[in-house]
Amino acid sequence: MSAILTIAGLSKSFSGVHAVQNASFEVEEGSITGLIGPNGSGKSTTIDCISGFQRLDAGRVELGGRDITNFNPATVARAGLIRTFQNVRVYDSYNPLDNLLVAEASFRNLNWFDVLVRTPAFRAIRAAAEVRAHELIELVGLTRLIDAPATMLSYGQKKLLAFAAAMMARPRLIVLDEPVAGVNPTRVNEVADILRKANATGISFLIVEHNVEFINSLCHKVVVFEQGSKLIEGSPEDVRNDPRVLDAYLGIAPKTEISPAEAP
Amino acid sequence: MTQPRWTIAAVLAAVIMLFCLPLMTGSNYFIGIAISGLIFLTAAAALNLVYGYAGLLSFAQLGFWGIGGYCSAIAVMDFGRSFWEGILFAGVVNLVLAIVIGIVITRTTRHAFVVVTLTFALLASLIARDWVDVTRGPLGIPGLPPPSLMGFAFNTSARFYYIALVCTLIALAFLYCLMTSRIGLVLKAIKQNDPLVESQGIQPAPYKLAAFVIAAVITGMAGAIFAFHLKIIDPSFLDFYYMQTFLIIVIIGGAGSFWAVVLAGAAMVVLPEILRFSNELRMVIYGVVLVAVMMFMPSGISGWLEDRRVAALRKALR
Repeated sequence: MSAILTIAGLSKSFSGVHAVQNASFEVEEGSITGLIGPNGSGKSTTIDCISGFQRLDAGRVELGGRDITNFNPATVARAGLIRTFQNVRVYDSYNPLDNLLVAEASFRNLNWFDVLVRTPAFRAIRAAAEVRAHELIELVGLTRLIDAPATMLSYGQKKLLAFAAAMMARPRLIVLDEPVAGVNPTRVNEVADILRKANATGISFLIVEHNVEFINSLCHKVVVFEQGSKLIEGSPEDVRNDPRVLDAYLGIAPKTEISPAEAP
Repeated sequence: MTQPRWTIAAVLAAVIMLFCLPLMTGSNYFIGIAISGLIFLTAAAALNLVYGYAGLLSFAQLGFWGIGGYCSAIAVMDFGRSFWEGILFAGVVNLVLAIVIGIVITRTTRHAFVVVTLTFALLASLIARDWVDVTRGPLGIPGLPPPSLMGFAFNTSARFYYIALVCTLIALAFLYCLMTSRIGLVLKAIKQNDPLVESQGIQPAPYKLAAFVIAAVITGMAGAIFAFHLKIIDPSFLDFYYMQTFLIIVIIGGAGSFWAVVLAGAAMVVLPEILRFSNELRMVIYGVVLVAVMMFMPSGISGWLEDRRVAALRKALR
């Protein structure tokens, strides 16, 4: 298997504070990779750097062998890397259908004349996009709310809508920033099932999440961050049993003082 | 927002009535009000594109309005061109200006954008007053001749009314096409959540620039027509009163809704006239109505209607 995402020597500081230092890891094509670590360990900064929302101080990001280092966010997205946001972002006044239609990737090939005059080429794409949007809305279970503006949705429903919009953009890799944080625990398994279904269609995933059970049940590989660098990476079992992870992330290794600040 | 089925019928009826208006009244006063109303509505609809859709609170509209007026007046009086060429000249000058300014300021933050556009409007009014060689300063350019087309002179209010009406309908039809297209959808998405739009592979900057430039051109041409309605242009053409009128129409109607802003434009013209039964209290009542709308419909008529719809939907889903 080849890597869909390669991160090499990524470093980023904010006014002297090293948020990420010389981090390197890969996401295999077609895999679900988890990225975990205590608060402040640099996970979100890493996502911002690879998706173009922050400039790297040093390092290199490749998507499917193509260099996307310091591309702007829209260009990164067009290259096939779509991210979601920790503080869920949707278009509040739009219903789920319009939310997804904005994200639809195939409109990118049209010029403004096609769009303004609604040429046959535009209408064909629009019809196909609506069919696909309805499928995705059904996949995430929002069909009943298809006429409701997104502001009416619950927090968890908004996260699902944001995920459907990410799918709509036809990505090769989706980077999810805390997909189940704040989601009703009874629905976490549903989210995992939806992600597995999407993964089965060939989309790779990089998932940042604090819910370790969720990560362990879903991921082929887990990368652990601590204080801005990669601590270890391996299968969920290896990571779960590694004393350094217990120490750094869970803070419950024997003979180590427990720091409340680092508890998950 | 979905439109009621009778929209097309209502629009047709309104257009027919507007075309018949000069036949129904011989009063130049009412025709004059109607001309101002149509032109203000056009400028407000353009402001709705840049503010209601793209989310850019642009005070530069006032500057474009004034520059459009001066360009057409100068083209006719100093260059000896026709009224029609004057309008075109106003559009082209505003196009170039808006592109130059827009490339820079659509990349700034929202607060900086407001400040820069406000400064631009103030600068335009300063130039109108102080660049005497071109604008003739505080005296202005009086005696703008009535437009003519192939020997037909639009030398009465009723005739000029048709120029305003046709231009308004063309501008509104274009804006309607634009706002209801995918471009309108993306513009309002940018207003709601800029980073999300970027993360979905869409560059916001060209969309913002296009909205800014299109609004500038339409506002400039509307100003050009308005100058020939007044038959004189002087620095008071850049009075903040005009900006305030455009802004009130957009806010009362509901920023980001095409029809609501059109209806609010009509209401804002008709309302002060209906209130004429009591001349002393007229503007007081007008003010009270404005304040009441602001208090009870903070997102305008369209926002109020949308709230009702959402409430009904909540009930149905329960």
